[in-house]
Amino acid sequence: MRIDTQIHARLTDALAPESLDVQNESAKHAGHAGDDGSGESHFHVTIKAASLDDLSRIGRHRAIHDAIGKDLMGRIHALGITVL
Amino acid sequence: MTAENQIKDTVTQNDVVLFMKGTKTMPQCGFSSRVAGVLNFMGIEFQDVNVLADDGIRQGIKDYSDWPTIPQLYVKGEFVGGCDIITEMTLSGELDTLLSDKGISFDKDAAEKIREANG
Repeated sequence: MRIDTQIHARLTDALAPESLDVQNESAKHAGHAGDDGSGESHFHVTIKAASLDDLSRIGRHRAIHDAIGKDLMGRIHALGITVL
Repeated sequence: MTAENQIKDTVTQNDVVLFMKGTKTMPQCGFSSRVAGVLNFMGIEFQDVNVLADDGIRQGIKDYSDWPTIPQLYVKGEFVGGCDIITEMTLSGELDTLLSDKGISFDKDAAEKIREANG
């Protein structure tokens, strides 16, 4: 299964977001450090979820890292996060 | 010395530390480059640690902060955040507040210029 699809599914399950967008930005980083040629290296998550509202900035990012899981986080090079 | 002790020494002996890919004068990743650029522009004195030069530190810093990505910024021994968080805090003025509270000197006008340019 595509990594962006898996990230989307795990964030949806864990955080019940009101809005969620997962972009694969790997093409923008092709040839840069971290591009492993898979086309699945760089992602950006834009999310709005009530479950994140009361957390600090670091807390929000941790909750998102945890929801995505160590296995998937370990397979990608970069994850940009925008919490709305 | 273990990587953990080495990291602990570095973040306690230096007020501001950036663990990054590459160095502050020659960053090797866009995300590291962005944070180093903000610190440089704001005239903040900081210690850079190139994680690409040491595999023990590269993994160790992720374990130390329980944070999976590089760059990582520490102020007075405390983990502040990665690239997205530092960018957001710069634009919101939270970084200015944090630095002032911790007694770290920086160029307030330069910080305002960043905000004007990205407003």
